[in-house]
Amino acid sequence: MKIRKREKMLKYISRRLAYTLFLILFVSITVYFIFDLLPVDPARLICSKQCTPQIVEANRHKLGLDVPVLEQWWRFIQGLFSGRTYGDGEVSFSCPAPAFGYSYSRHECVTTMIGKAFPVTFSLALGAFILWISVGVSLGILAARKKGKFADRASSVFVLVGTSLPTFITGILVVLFIVLQFNLVNPLELGDWANPFTDPFGWLKAFFFPCATLALSYAATYTRFTRSNVIETSSEDYIRTARAKGLSEKVILRKHTLRAALAPIATIAGLDFAGLLGGAIITEGIFGLNGLGKMSITAVLETYDLPVIVATTLIASTFLVVMNLIVDILYAFLDPRVRQS
Amino acid sequence: MTKFLEVKNLSVGFPTPDGLVKASNNVSYSVDLGETLAIVGESGSGKSVSNLAVMGLHNPVSTKISGSAVLNLPNGPVDVISAGPEVVRRLRGKVMSMIFQDPMSALHPYYSVGDQIAEAWALYNEGSKKGGLKRAQQMLDLVGIPAADKRVNEFPHQFSGGMRQRVMIAMALVNNPLLLIADEPTTALDVTVQAQILSLLKDLQKEFNMAIILITHDLGVVAQVADRVSVMYGGQVVESATADQTFYNSIQPYTMGLLESIPRIDLTGSHRLRAIPGQPPSLINLPAGCAFAPRCSFASDVANNKCRVTEPELVEKSTGHFARCHLTVEELSVISISRAGK
Amino acid sequence: MSVKKMTARRLIASLSAVALATGVVTMGATSGANAAVEKPYTGGTLFYYTHADNFPNLDPTRMYTGRDIALFGSYLMRTLVTYKPAVGPAGTTLVADLATNTGVPTNKAKNWTFTLRPGVTWEDGSAITCADVKYGWSRTFAIDIYQEGPTYPISWLDIPTLDDGSSAYKGPYLKTGQALFDKSITCSADNRTIKFNLKRSVPDFNYYMTYLSAGPVPAKKDTGEKYDLRPFASGPYKIEKNVSGEEMVLVRNTKWSKASDPVRTPYPDEVVFKFGLNEDVRDDIIMNDSIANGVSLDSLQLANNITFFKSTNPKDAARRMNNYDPYVTYLTANNSAGRVDCLEVRKAIFFAINNKALIDLSGGLEFYGDMGDGIVKPLLGADYAPTTGNIHDPNFKIEGNPDYAKTLLAEAKTKCPATYDRATNPDKGLVYIRPDTASSKKTAVLVQAAMEKAGIVLKYQYEAQGTYNAKLEEFKKTSDLFSSGWGPDWANASTVIPELWGEGCCNYTNNKKTPEYTAFIAKVNKALVELDRKKQSAMWKELNQYGMDQYWFVRTVFGKSQQTWGSKVGGVYYWDAQGSFGFGQLYVKY
Repeated sequence: MKIRKREKMLKYISRRLAYTLFLILFVSITVYFIFDLLPVDPARLICSKQCTPQIVEANRHKLGLDVPVLEQWWRFIQGLFSGRTYGDGEVSFSCPAPAFGYSYSRHECVTTMIGKAFPVTFSLALGAFILWISVGVSLGILAARKKGKFADRASSVFVLVGTSLPTFITGILVVLFIVLQFNLVNPLELGDWANPFTDPFGWLKAFFFPCATLALSYAATYTRFTRSNVIETSSEDYIRTARAKGLSEKVILRKHTLRAALAPIATIAGLDFAGLLGGAIITEGIFGLNGLGKMSITAVLETYDLPVIVATTLIASTFLVVMNLIVDILYAFLDPRVRQS
Repeated sequence: MTKFLEVKNLSVGFPTPDGLVKASNNVSYSVDLGETLAIVGESGSGKSVSNLAVMGLHNPVSTKISGSAVLNLPNGPVDVISAGPEVVRRLRGKVMSMIFQDPMSALHPYYSVGDQIAEAWALYNEGSKKGGLKRAQQMLDLVGIPAADKRVNEFPHQFSGGMRQRVMIAMALVNNPLLLIADEPTTALDVTVQAQILSLLKDLQKEFNMAIILITHDLGVVAQVADRVSVMYGGQVVESATADQTFYNSIQPYTMGLLESIPRIDLTGSHRLRAIPGQPPSLINLPAGCAFAPRCSFASDVANNKCRVTEPELVEKSTGHFARCHLTVEELSVISISRAGK
Repeated sequence: MSVKKMTARRLIASLSAVALATGVVTMGATSGANAAVEKPYTGGTLFYYTHADNFPNLDPTRMYTGRDIALFGSYLMRTLVTYKPAVGPAGTTLVADLATNTGVPTNKAKNWTFTLRPGVTWEDGSAITCADVKYGWSRTFAIDIYQEGPTYPISWLDIPTLDDGSSAYKGPYLKTGQALFDKSITCSADNRTIKFNLKRSVPDFNYYMTYLSAGPVPAKKDTGEKYDLRPFASGPYKIEKNVSGEEMVLVRNTKWSKASDPVRTPYPDEVVFKFGLNEDVRDDIIMNDSIANGVSLDSLQLANNITFFKSTNPKDAARRMNNYDPYVTYLTANNSAGRVDCLEVRKAIFFAINNKALIDLSGGLEFYGDMGDGIVKPLLGADYAPTTGNIHDPNFKIEGNPDYAKTLLAEAKTKCPATYDRATNPDKGLVYIRPDTASSKKTAVLVQAAMEKAGIVLKYQYEAQGTYNAKLEEFKKTSDLFSSGWGPDWANASTVIPELWGEGCCNYTNNKKTPEYTAFIAKVNKALVELDRKKQSAMWKELNQYGMDQYWFVRTVFGKSQQTWGSKVGGVYYWDAQGSFGFGQLYVKY
């Protein structure tokens, strides 16, 4: 019986992975087509005063935009496996596999850019995640247990404030009136990367406030969600059964109520975390963090840098799709009722 | 003589912005070891509420409880109403157990049935996890679940309704309680399964000599298993008698009305079911006088409109047969016969 | 932060008021500039900070913005000739840098010769040679790789052009036509004297030599695309570190010697550029002086700009300056056939516009600049003279003169009925193309209101902001009115009038071959090759006047730009020629 189950599980996972791969390929093609449809012609953008048609064409050729969209996409796919070479003759250069492309506005291989940006985004996402889960969930449980009393009312104020203040407001307020006002960080060094293992204090300097700012609105939402989940679960029949068995309230809360109430939260938390792995655009911008979010927004709004846009879009969607799969498996692990299908 | 459980003048009220909901009002009943008491009534009659109070399962913040419910244990009596919550908690599962109406939702969906039963057992017994599961397996066997050794690791959603109720029973009895309160245990099951469950309960009662309170609105269930019956209406006990007395010799208009509304296989000819007209009373604004008076077909036969003015007491009208009605036994039978003749 | 009401402009000479009254616009005042007041300190670290992620191009062949040329010309890369680092008109004169003089024209300025100074070296100590200059020039021809820089070498050097309009020389990497290129620039035997052979007379050739793209690049150190990240230095500093999004650090170039460089005074030991600042954080630094030894490379955001520049705190006043930048912004009326090819209609538009409303919208004359009276700005020095007519016409009112516009339209009705009809018929209207931004739409409303008073009908068309500039050439065919801006490439109107009104790159408004226009073009071309600078200036002045008499541009504005810096930065002045700080003279007080 067990072997059959494992077989089924593996078949399920491999099916989902194939679907994931297809989805990612589809997203990548879509980005190329959308970019092609944009009214902006990136080849024209570098054009200063003395713009002749030859120069525009040369730029278009350099950017690889003078071939059909599908071929552009195919070159990209090939680059992922075998790297890409640019230019010819003595000034040619290449980006090693997996090559997402070359950014002419940053003069860097996009893969290198990602390698530098991802740890930043990951730090921000992980730090915020830990903060918002620990604060949000525990506050939600407390509010549910002390329903109607002061702790509950205080938490609802927190929820209101946290959900109504968007990050771009709290972020700026924190930067201007806390970080800079009290000279906690040199404004020119705001967001400078520090390796958390070799320079933990520097890492904290860079990430404490952005993580806290980002965590605020999530924590508020999670407080509300946890609170209502715990309250709802507490009124379930099986909780009454547990009480009738003679279990103490503490054990009931821990083993019975929370186990059921927090399962859906775990799945949502996973998805929220994955969403942040693609980059927290606003928070990174405000705190000067050079993460994937900042990278993508600059490429879309300022430099129209197609290779960067493709890379960041793909990475963000890959994280989400993979996390979807993980979360589904996790939920099946948590809730036996789901395992049948 | 004192029975194992003596409930006296138990009142449970829920304060609401509109007023106090008197869910049960001076309710008294008792049950002994080896005896099955059926508490019968419509929804809202107070039958569940009273027994939840006995188990100590009401939210102390939002409930006003008064009266007493004494468990006459071997080492002394305990009044669960006035005892502290910790004392009562330690009685739950060990001395008194309760099973509920909807087995679908009464078991935790995330834990295997074995784990849930073992958890109940581990609360009052020293032992390893393996030992607990073994005990669970024994209980599943006892309640008649086939292939118990495999099924002990399965989850509630893998069981049918009837099987789930058996699991509930197994869990309730794992620590050999002296009192089992079964709140509408078969209402959610179909009739054939219903019979099996009731028969199982009866067997287990004989084996463990426990007291059973069976809460139900189904007189057919009562007929199968009950030794004594307490009929409740409007938060009060209106008739308390043996099963035979209740069915063959009811002396309370509400009970009589209930009996008349049961379809009868033995009556020949076309025969219309007589339903009791009207609705149960509001438990916040109970009518003055007898709670049943607005719907009672005998109320008009009582002089001076007494039913609408004075609340009748629960009185022993004959040996072991209590009724709450202003009419005497004779008056009732006279009126009944004259009506039957017409 | 609220916009304070405009108070008396104590700190900035009230040029604007004077200009309005008399039509005379004087040189930009440099309030707060503290050049030549105290003795400079040597040492310390000077910071620059910006919102941008990096400098788009450090490769001299690809650099085309005045600020970047001023900045990296001061610190990293020397040229044969440069502008004198001085405030005011003196800063628009040429001085020798790598060369011994500012160049010797021969053969009616068809040939130019420069000799390299002795002792000029690269950052590795090797000598800068004529071959290096030649190599630097050759890179401009590699347009398959480098598309951003100026293309004067391609237009001027005596190399044949192919049928498709491109040069026969394809650059040093492909080497096609290399022999032709080698003939157009020749080096002396000692590799110290360089001679340029041009297609035509270019009297202001040595002005182009101030561009970094006209400077040397060592062939052995050429890294192609990657040169944009780390060019080889000939100036007093070299690049130690350059990380996009973070910082660029310049340290002293130990091989640079003061003896070989009369132009630069590198005071700081280190120059650090900080990238990627959030805009509010950057503004906060300036307004609170939290980085006293730092200079902002960006302007403040609009509201902050107004607040900071109107502050009466003397400490703030000492850290800001407001000057005329090199740019003229203009509203052009398309003079092509079938468009607004009617003088009276163009004149009517000119007089109908409510300039006051537009000025107020931008926060007042202080930051907006002045109403211009031509496409040549006073910053061009000798080539500028106030014109007559347009804003100096007695009928001109700053808030618009719809009545006068109506009389002009009445004339137009008989003289050019077709254009009149298009301009006044509610079902037709003149096509006015604007960039699609929120502020542009606000401006459009004001312009619309003014036109309605005069009876002129406009039809608006909005173009995406990002591609607006790239589409100007199309507007020639599709629009009647559109706005743009222009800054001269160097201090000579030869980079303005021929480009905008003549046969240069960017004349988007005139395609008519009338005798008058043909004569005008002939005059422009004559001025282009005039060797006598004084004569040339006079010709430019006359041509500027002519263009304004034709009302080809129905509105010109002499724009202003504001700069801010920290309290510990000294030696600040506005370098007119480049429209930026005189970077090479800045120092850190400590």
